[in-house]
Amino acid sequence: MADVAHHGPGINGSKQPFSAPGKSFTPEDEAALTEALKRCSPATIEAAVKFRKTGDPAYVPAVVIGIIERFAEPDQRAKLREADDDVRIIDDLGIDSLTMMEIVMLVEDTLQMSINNDELRHLRTLGDIKVFIDCKIRGLPLPKPSRFLPIEHIGMVMPIQPPFLFLNEATVGSNGASAKYKITGEEFFLKGHFKDNPVMPASIMLEALGQLAVLFLLEGGHGEEGKQADPQTIYFTSCEGVRAHRVCKPGDLLSLSIKPKRMKMPLATFEGQIRVGQEKAAFAEEITLTFGLRDIAVAPAPAPQAAPAASAPAAAQPPAAAARTVVSAPAA
Amino acid sequence: MSVFVHARPDCIVSKVYITGLGLITSIGNDLASVIRSLRELRHGFEVHPLFDRSGILIHVVGTIKEFQVDSTDPEDWIFPKQYSIKREVLRGLGPNALFAYCAMLQAIEDARLTTADISNPQTGLYAASGGSPFLTHHLHERMLKVGVTRCSPLGIVASIAGTLNFNLVAHFKIYGASCGFSSACASSLHGLGFAYEEIRTGRQQRMFVVGAEDCNTDSILPFAGMRALSLQSDPNLASRPFDVARDGFVGTGGGAVVVLESEEEVARRGVKPYAEVAGWGQASDGYNVAISHPDGVGLHLAMKLALKNSGCTAEEIDYVNAHATSTPIGDSSEAKALKAVFTNPATRPAISSTKALTGHGLSLAGAMETAFCALALRDGFMPGSAHISKLDPGCDGLNIIRATLPAQPHVVLNNSSGFGGANVCAVLKRIN
Repeated sequence: MADVAHHGPGINGSKQPFSAPGKSFTPEDEAALTEALKRCSPATIEAAVKFRKTGDPAYVPAVVIGIIERFAEPDQRAKLREADDDVRIIDDLGIDSLTMMEIVMLVEDTLQMSINNDELRHLRTLGDIKVFIDCKIRGLPLPKPSRFLPIEHIGMVMPIQPPFLFLNEATVGSNGASAKYKITGEEFFLKGHFKDNPVMPASIMLEALGQLAVLFLLEGGHGEEGKQADPQTIYFTSCEGVRAHRVCKPGDLLSLSIKPKRMKMPLATFEGQIRVGQEKAAFAEEITLTFGLRDIAVAPAPAPQAAPAASAPAAAQPPAAAARTVVSAPAA
Repeated sequence: MSVFVHARPDCIVSKVYITGLGLITSIGNDLASVIRSLRELRHGFEVHPLFDRSGILIHVVGTIKEFQVDSTDPEDWIFPKQYSIKREVLRGLGPNALFAYCAMLQAIEDARLTTADISNPQTGLYAASGGSPFLTHHLHERMLKVGVTRCSPLGIVASIAGTLNFNLVAHFKIYGASCGFSSACASSLHGLGFAYEEIRTGRQQRMFVVGAEDCNTDSILPFAGMRALSLQSDPNLASRPFDVARDGFVGTGGGAVVVLESEEEVARRGVKPYAEVAGWGQASDGYNVAISHPDGVGLHLAMKLALKNSGCTAEEIDYVNAHATSTPIGDSSEAKALKAVFTNPATRPAISSTKALTGHGLSLAGAMETAFCALALRDGFMPGSAHISKLDPGCDGLNIIRATLPAQPHVVLNNSSGFGGANVCAVLKRIN
């Protein structure tokens, strides 16, 4: 915990990060906590009290959402209640950096933790915040911050390119990715689908989700030490439970998001969904990709040994042929 | 929009008009109530519980009704429902800025301004406030107790002297000139004078002039340290400028907004102004940090310069809204200055101090009293100088009116004087 010296007593006068259940949480502390949270919903206050009594991290998400809700404009609170982890704090909820400071202060006081400014910088979505607080509570290392990738970056790393690339911008984090794609109306396939009635094919929406999953594999920093997903080896293998809920047309802005469900070489399975505004447009219970690894294409460490590290047997070979697991597509 | 003509001194590109007013004062939170109070000489004083404790010695305050702003947390505040203010705006306000914000909304409606009229590079805002010592005190205490990172991120914005301009320029999306004025009780009349200049010279087409102060022990009580406050406990007696037994001023707060516009804008929008701002003058006593020059030399010169600047003679002045705060020394200085300017008994103007009704609004006074003069010019009356039982002999020769005159003034002076001996005088003219 940072900066203890600069912080006077928190709400209950104790600087113990996570009070042992029942120990230092007196009725006076409870009264002070209730007062500090007086503009939050009763459910939030209840969750906060339970957390301070038991130290159980399961109560934390409700507290965090309740505090964010308290500071959000009334007309934005509905978005929070839908509790989509991809909701972006600044862009979607209109919460500016000063309000973030207010939120953080109240979270710090309520959960008895301290958060410093650097850590805040990377919290972009509701999901980011929940994961962050959860890690702090459990004393786990913080996840790598989610990164925003503009079209230029996406174009540089993806094996898929226009006219078949359906991502305009994306955010990739450790627990998933989100992206946007605007149907321009100029897409080549719209001329025929349908005649005189351009409609985004469901298969292309599924493809877009798959592409976001590809981006996640390439940019999400996964894989073993020293290795990354090889863009030349990523292929679609299967999907399940795919549903289209909404006809999407030129002008619609698709909000895509994927979450990893299972990752075991050589397969990676994701759940994905597309929304247009608040409406569900498409959902895929599972999209499975197959992929191989290659060594991370960075300058080697200055060690003079000729022999490469034992765990990277193909390091000496050119990247294209490097450590590619041979995969055969399942027969289906 | 006007082209800016090369600036030779006193070159007039545009006349300047008052087109809108907004008032949150001890004598009313809307124009109709204020007019009634001025006409009928109804004061806004109360014996205030916070003040009326033994040891504090000061009992009477010009209170702001319908506003409950005692908490250091703006989300606790209570204010009239017609003002809808987002939390994100509230959190950066002190009580003074809240009063100003409400007055701003009133003035905008009164002047019938659209968002496009308000938010453009030709519209500016000048403001005056002493800041919020109440919030400053709270924040410093909190900083020492729990550390600075536990303090409201907007603490400074809400508490230092520039708080009005920070908040109003941001929230009303002002793109033109903006500044804060810091000459104590002369501040908002300085704001008016310089705003007038912006339009006169063609640099701006429209200016908001704002004055506001908190109304609490932190903003008012310190004046008891220099024995400037009345110790009276009777609200009907305490504030009595020019009375022989006056013993100090009664504090107040609130917010006032005066909208100034160019001839071109008045014509384009087809609005009828309250009055014309015909000119102004300023001069300083160079005498003492807090006590006015005994002969009122700075105020005398300020009035003379204002008359010259507006092309008016002393004989043309029908009414003077005096600064007179009800302090023994200050009122005397002003009386002398007035006598030095208005030497012709046949044409002497009616004189009153409306501080007998409102109390002394400190930085707020200039803008608030300009608004009172505008109302008087539009509606055809001159408010009396209330609460005088026995006129100070030093005022012999001055026509200090004890009752409201239901007569139409045509040219009016408004005076404000502040610490260090700053003196400002503005000339307002009736529109035909």
